[in-house]
Amino acid sequence: MVASLKRRNGLVDFFYWVWDGYERTIFIGTKFSFPGRFVSPFGFLGMLTFVTFIILGISGALLMFYYEPILTRAWDSVAKINNTVPFGFMIRNIHYHASNAMVLLAVLHMYYQYFSGRYKIRNELLWFTGVILGTVTILEAFTGYDIIFSERAELALSIAASLTNSIPVAGPTIRDAMFGSGFADFILRFYTQHVFILPIVMLGLMAIHMPRFLVFDVPMVMAICGAIFITGGVFPVDLGSKFEPTVPPGVTVPEWYLTGIYAFLRTQYDKFVTGVAWPAAFIIALGLTPFIDRYKKFSWKDRPIITAFGITGIAQIMVTTYWGFYISPDVTKALVARLVIDPVFFYSVMLLLVPIGFGFSYMMIKLAKEAERKAKLAVSKGPHKVAQINLSEKWINWLIVALLAFQVYLNIAAYNAALAGMKNFSLFLVGLILMVFAGMFHLYRHGLSETKKVPTPPPQATQEIPKPIGTSPDSIKLLGKENPPSVTTNTAPTPEIKTANLENIRESTVGTSDIKKP
Amino acid sequence: MQFFKNGSLEMSEQDSTAKNTLSRRDFLKLLGAAGTALTFTPFVPWGQFMPNPSNAAPQKAKVILPDGTQANVKFFPKNHSEVITYPLTGDTVLDQEAFRKWQFIRLPEELGGDKDDVSAFRVYSMVCLHLWCLWKYWPQEGRKRGECPCHGSMYNPLNGKAFVGPASLQAPPSNVLATLYLEADNDGNLWIKPAKWDVTENGIVGYGRFLKT
Repeated sequence: MVASLKRRNGLVDFFYWVWDGYERTIFIGTKFSFPGRFVSPFGFLGMLTFVTFIILGISGALLMFYYEPILTRAWDSVAKINNTVPFGFMIRNIHYHASNAMVLLAVLHMYYQYFSGRYKIRNELLWFTGVILGTVTILEAFTGYDIIFSERAELALSIAASLTNSIPVAGPTIRDAMFGSGFADFILRFYTQHVFILPIVMLGLMAIHMPRFLVFDVPMVMAICGAIFITGGVFPVDLGSKFEPTVPPGVTVPEWYLTGIYAFLRTQYDKFVTGVAWPAAFIIALGLTPFIDRYKKFSWKDRPIITAFGITGIAQIMVTTYWGFYISPDVTKALVARLVIDPVFFYSVMLLLVPIGFGFSYMMIKLAKEAERKAKLAVSKGPHKVAQINLSEKWINWLIVALLAFQVYLNIAAYNAALAGMKNFSLFLVGLILMVFAGMFHLYRHGLSETKKVPTPPPQATQEIPKPIGTSPDSIKLLGKENPPSVTTNTAPTPEIKTANLENIRESTVGTSDIKKP
Repeated sequence: MQFFKNGSLEMSEQDSTAKNTLSRRDFLKLLGAAGTALTFTPFVPWGQFMPNPSNAAPQKAKVILPDGTQANVKFFPKNHSEVITYPLTGDTVLDQEAFRKWQFIRLPEELGGDKDDVSAFRVYSMVCLHLWCLWKYWPQEGRKRGECPCHGSMYNPLNGKAFVGPASLQAPPSNVLATLYLEADNDGNLWIKPAKWDVTENGIVGYGRFLKT
């Protein structure tokens, strides 16, 4: 009877038993929190990177059932996955687009942490492992697209091998040891590294890199999964041509995260300097950032030099990435002339970007400070400056029902598309289903938080003011660095003051404090 | 001396020994570290597990032509080339692969191909130094050079140096093909000397070689 009073049956009891058991595991060290409301998406980037890693693990494990890391069969086995294995197209596309998403999310995650200064306050170790983790992520993605053994993969293999060879003294030994000799070895060994060694390294680094407080937002995760599926549906990845050593390949470029290095290589300058030393210098500089950054403040606005370095770095990454992609479409010119980038031009642009980057960040900081000042002046306009969608409970319910119906429809459509052989359309629709689910979950959560809110009475109904401005926690937070005395002196209004006058009082509060500032 | 004044003679003595000489504890620690290091030293040669033995320790081998015969100084035609495989493994997949394919060239007469000794022959890796397509020797009048079908790199048959195309623009050693050195026995049969995969020796396939001056 006790069980029924507690509304617990055996299964629920079992789940609670498992849940309590977690206290004795390593997971107790990590605090997961599921936010009750929508918070800044930038804070999720790290968690989303991890989620894409899990997606990659699952889809990659499925691909392993069919992929053969053998010189003569690698490309054909990928073609088989793509063309004949049921849902092989979907799995391969998910794997490919998730890999791109992971690299992108990792880079965005890094730059968010960079500009918000989160690598400080004893987070240096997290930052450093993160930089290594990012590098390994790119290596992982790189080894992945090499083992398809298409023309593009072969281009990447040849560049990787010659760059390793170009390392002074140890280079050829490293290449022989890690890559082996010849294509058969390259494919088999890159496969080993791709499916086992690098993921294990990543997991090890993640164990260090995971912060103690993780935020896991279900709608965000669903939205990212949906975005990966939708991209797969709209831009299905092609197989490329099988590499034949006697057939002239089409002009190929590496994946987008490597065209930056490719642009350096295309200057035909010394391979070690352009392809190994420069990227290594960049990575080391990033890794040492917390030890270079001696500012006491966190915000990018208060760390001008670091911000300027970051912006210059981003500008150079963007320019070289585009430059690496760009091959003159003029086919009348010799291929060499189209491929080779003039090093003098290239490096002078790189140098020119430094003052531009610094100037740009100076301007940004100035504008941001100006905007901050204006925002302080405009605080009087009330705490709710962010546009809000106010839906009544009834309409939230109807919207959820409508989304549910839409999801049922999409499920049927996706299944029909899969049956009809419209693989990428089916993939697109599945992505949309995930997106709709994300929307539904978000709306549901919003609805729950709405019901908890106490409805605010209309101002006409009562003569009382809800609270004097200085004491309510919201207004203090909004006023930010306003000094408390100025607030208290102006929050003396007697209860008799009418709501109509409140606006003026608030305005005067902010105005005086603003004048008082030096 | 402060300790001495406070009356703790022992402590000051300990302090001074720790500063000047190795304490017993530190000595044992060092011994432990040395022991640990020594325990793992037998495993250092195990690093040889990683390089593939089928390529890492090449042997002396016959020059086997595609028809199965051994190349001979007396019979091999001038201004002509064949594809040979080295090192030969017997594995069909491995023997197909580009990194084991070599152009075995007898030079045209004007470049010294009329001599009946090894100096008339050249062997170069077929893997183009630019992007690893397979080049080959073209004996026609006016060509007489190695040409890559992919991006038009051309190689000098005398020393394997690229003189036209993307491979020629690469910084040394990536502009000279890897090579194999030959020797002839008394019957004129040709043999490949054991190769050393080093940029200053035979060169590295797909990467290059420094030309000996």
